[in-house]
Amino acid sequence: MLQDFLTAQKKNFKDHTELRAQVNANKRVVMLAGNMVGNTQTEKGGVCARVYRGGTYGFASGAEYTPESVGNVLKAATENAAFMDANIKKDEPPLPKIENAPGKVELKKPIFDDIPQSILIDYARVLDELVLKKCKNISSRTIVADALCIEKLLAVSDGADSHLFQPRSMVYIWLTADTSDGVPVELFKGFSHVGRFDEYFKEPLQFEKEIDELYKSLMDKREGVYANAGIRKCVLHPDLAGMLSHEAVGHTVEADLVLGGSVAAHNLNKQVASELISMTDFAHTAFGETVPLPVYVDDEGTPAGDAILIENGILKGYMHSRESARHFGVKPQGNARAFEFSDEPIIRMRNTVILPGKDKLDDLIASVDDGYFLVKTGNGQADSTGEFMFSVDLGYEIKNGKPGKAIRETTISGVAFEMLKTVDMVSDDMAWEISGFCGKKQPMTTSMGGPALRCDMNIGGR
Amino acid sequence: MKDIANYALDALKKAGADKALCSAEKGRTDEFNIEANTFTLLRTTFTDSLHLKALVGGRKGVTVINKLDFASIVEAAQNCVALAKSSEPDEAEDIAPLVENMDFDFTDGEPDITGLFNRSKEYLEQVRDELPKIMIEGFSSSCSSKKGVYVNSNGVCFAEKRNYYSFNSMFVGKDGEKSSSFNYDGAVLKDMGARFIDSGMHRQLLEEAEKSINPRSVDEKFTGKIIVTPACADLIWETILQNFISDRPMIEGTSRWKDALGTQVASDKLTFRAAPHHPQIIRGHQCTQDGFRIQDIDFIKDGILKSFALSLYGANKTGKPLVPTASYNMEVLAGDTPLDEIIKSVDRGILLNRFSGGSPGASGDISGVAKNSFLILDGNISDALQETMISFNILDALKNITAISQERVTNGQTVLPWCCLDGITVSGK
Repeated sequence: MLQDFLTAQKKNFKDHTELRAQVNANKRVVMLAGNMVGNTQTEKGGVCARVYRGGTYGFASGAEYTPESVGNVLKAATENAAFMDANIKKDEPPLPKIENAPGKVELKKPIFDDIPQSILIDYARVLDELVLKKCKNISSRTIVADALCIEKLLAVSDGADSHLFQPRSMVYIWLTADTSDGVPVELFKGFSHVGRFDEYFKEPLQFEKEIDELYKSLMDKREGVYANAGIRKCVLHPDLAGMLSHEAVGHTVEADLVLGGSVAAHNLNKQVASELISMTDFAHTAFGETVPLPVYVDDEGTPAGDAILIENGILKGYMHSRESARHFGVKPQGNARAFEFSDEPIIRMRNTVILPGKDKLDDLIASVDDGYFLVKTGNGQADSTGEFMFSVDLGYEIKNGKPGKAIRETTISGVAFEMLKTVDMVSDDMAWEISGFCGKKQPMTTSMGGPALRCDMNIGGR
Repeated sequence: MKDIANYALDALKKAGADKALCSAEKGRTDEFNIEANTFTLLRTTFTDSLHLKALVGGRKGVTVINKLDFASIVEAAQNCVALAKSSEPDEAEDIAPLVENMDFDFTDGEPDITGLFNRSKEYLEQVRDELPKIMIEGFSSSCSSKKGVYVNSNGVCFAEKRNYYSFNSMFVGKDGEKSSSFNYDGAVLKDMGARFIDSGMHRQLLEEAEKSINPRSVDEKFTGKIIVTPACADLIWETILQNFISDRPMIEGTSRWKDALGTQVASDKLTFRAAPHHPQIIRGHQCTQDGFRIQDIDFIKDGILKSFALSLYGANKTGKPLVPTASYNMEVLAGDTPLDEIIKSVDRGILLNRFSGGSPGASGDISGVAKNSFLILDGNISDALQETMISFNILDALKNITAISQERVTNGQTVLPWCCLDGITVSGK
C-alpha cells in the first residue's frame, strides 16, 4: 500500500497543484488454442505532479517514489509550468477553488496483492477445457484471465485529497468456427467484475449457460448471410446501447472535444434526440445502486457528481475538467481522470448510460417487418461531426417481426444527433458493459450501458 | 545499463531459471501539448523499464516493472521464476542463440527541447495563418532520449542509445457551426531540421480537412474502386500482419494463408515487406523480443507469399520458418503508375484517407465508414464524403490491385505508396 509522502509537500505548493502517487498492478494469463502463451505480471508505479500557472500546466513524473523524489517531481512540474507561463503568456487567472470539498476521501484497500497467479492459471485452464468440451465444432479458442488493480493517492492544493483503489477483474473468451466453405468466423464474450478476481470468478461452470449461448450464436453466425447495405430499421440489443451511449454521444459531449470542434458545441439546450432519450454519465450511484465503476473523487481532486447529458431529447450539458468547467461557467463533476502515474488527467467518461424506457424488447422486434436485430458489438469510434461507427459481431435479420438468419460481421454507422431522433421505441430493461477500455489518448476503464432501441441505422454489407 | 541488465539476468538464474532474458531501458521524454489551437501543457516523464522472462523446464513466466534498483530487480526476478514454475511446459518456448553482439548509438548530441518548442509554436502559427479553417483538436510533440540493453542467458547482448523526436496532430476543418471529420497524422523525426507541416502527407491532409467541411453521402450503392492513401496504412497492411501472417492466427490455425507460402496471394504488382533498416525509417529496432538481430524481410514479393511474421515461439509452434524482423516498420515498394494516372483510371470510387470500421476478422471481411475521403467520378476527385460505407473482403481485394503509385510517403516508421483496389461495395444513405 502506498505510503503518504505527498501531504508533507503541500507547504511547497505555490499554484494550483496536484500530486499523485499511483500503482497499476496487472496479472494476466492467456490460453491460445490450449497453449498458455501468456503468463505475465506487470507493475508500474510512481509519482507525478501537475501545476497550473497563468493558463497552462506543467507536468512531471518519475518511477521512483520516495519523499525526495516527490520533491524533485514537484520541482520539475513547477519549472515546466513556469516555462509555459513565460513563453505562452495566456495570463489566465488561477482556477476557481472547489467549494465545500470534503476532507480526504479514502476507500478500504481491497485484498488484491495476495491473489496468487495460480488462481488465474487454474481458472483459465479449466475454462479452456470446459469450452473445448462444450463447443464441439469450433476450430480455435482463446481464453484470457486478467486482474488489474489501480491504487491512487492524491494530494491537491484545493479540493478533496483521496486514497482510492480500483480493482477490476476480467475473463474473455474468443471462439472461432469455420463455415461450410472454410471461412473462419469468430465471436467474443467478456465478463467483468469490479473487485478481486476470485470474489467473482469462482469456477468456470458458473458461465456454462453463457458459453452455451455464445456457442449457439457462433453456430448461427457460421450459417450467416451478408447484410443488405444501406439505411435499415434496426433493433439494438441492450448490449449495444452502451457502445451507442459511449461512442455516438459520449465523446461528442466531452468538453475538450467540444472546444476542439465537436458538433455538440452548437447544440446545447437543443433537441438532439427523440424525447424518449435521456442520458447521464453517472459518478458512483445509479438507480439506487453503486454503479460498476464508481468514481468518488477525480484526479483533479473534484468530488464526483452525475453529469446530465441529455434529458428528454434535449442536450443539457457536457463532461468537464476544472479548466473546461470554468470556461463554460458550470460546476465540474469529476470527469478528469488519468490511467497511469505518468498520465495527466483528461476528460473521461465514467458510467455513461442511456436511461431505460417503457417498451418490451420482444415488442421492439415484433414491430419490424424487414430489418435487423443487432446483438453484439466489438469496437467503435466517434467523430467530431457526431458521425459514429461500431462493429456488429452478431446480428440477425428480422423478417415479419421475427428474428431470422444470422448475419456476417459488419459495421453500423450514423450521425448521432440525427440517428437518435429516429428512436421510436426504448425497452424497459438495460445492460451494463464494463469489460472494455476507452482509448482516448490514454487507455481508461469506463462503464457504459443502456436499453434496447428501435431506430434507423446505416449498415454495411453487400 | 549493461550492468543492470546482467544483474537482472544473474538474479533470474539464481532464482532457478534454466533460460532467461532481460531488457532494461531508461529514458526521458519532454512533450508539448496543444488543445483547441492553444498550448496547454509541458510534460516531462522519466521512464524506467525492466522486462524479465524466465523459462523453467519449458515453463514461462514474464514480469514487467518500472523500477531499476537492485532490490526491485531481485524481487521481480524471483517473482518471474515463481510465475514460470506455476505455468505449463511448452517445448516451443526458447530464447535466441548467440550469433553476434552489437552496440548501437543513434544519438546526435543532446535533445533539443528549445528547438522542439520553436517547431511546435511555428506549426501552430503556420496552421493559423495558412489554413485558417483548421482547428487543432489535440497536438503533442516530444523529444525522447533512451538507453536500452537486451541480454539473455545464451550470451546475447544488444545495447542501444537513441534520441528521436515525434509529433502527432488531430485536427478538424471548421467553418462557423460546421466541421469536418477529425483526422490525425504524425511522424517520427531524426532532428528538428524541418517544419512539421512539411512532413509526409501532413500539409495535404490539413488542406483536405478544410475542403471537407461540407461533405455529402453517395446517392446509391455501387461497386467501384478505392485508392488507399499512405495515411490509411492500418486498413490493408496491418490487417495482413495481424490476421494472416503473425503468431496468433498461425498458431490458432485461423489464418487463411497458413498453407499459402510460395503461392500467389495478391496481384503481382504488390511487394510488401518489413524494412527496419530502410534509410527513411527513424525508429527501426535492432533486435527482436526473442534476441535476434532484426532483418529486412519480404512478406509478399510480386504477389507471392514469401514469409510469415513469426516469433521464435510462433515458428517453433507451427514448424514454419522464424522471421526476425520488426513488422511495424512496413514498406510497400513503389509501383509504376503516377498517382494522377491512377486517379484518372477510376470511373467511380473513393480516395480513402481514413477508415473507421470494425476490426477485420479472420475471414478477411471488412466494412466501415470512409473518413476524410473524397468521391472520384470519371477520373476526377469530386466531393468530400460523409456517411459512406465501404465493404469488401481483403483477400479478394489484394488480388484486385489495379495500380500502385510511383509516389511514396514516409512518416519515419513506414514507407508506403497509394494503392488502388477494385471490387469494393460502396453504399450511402
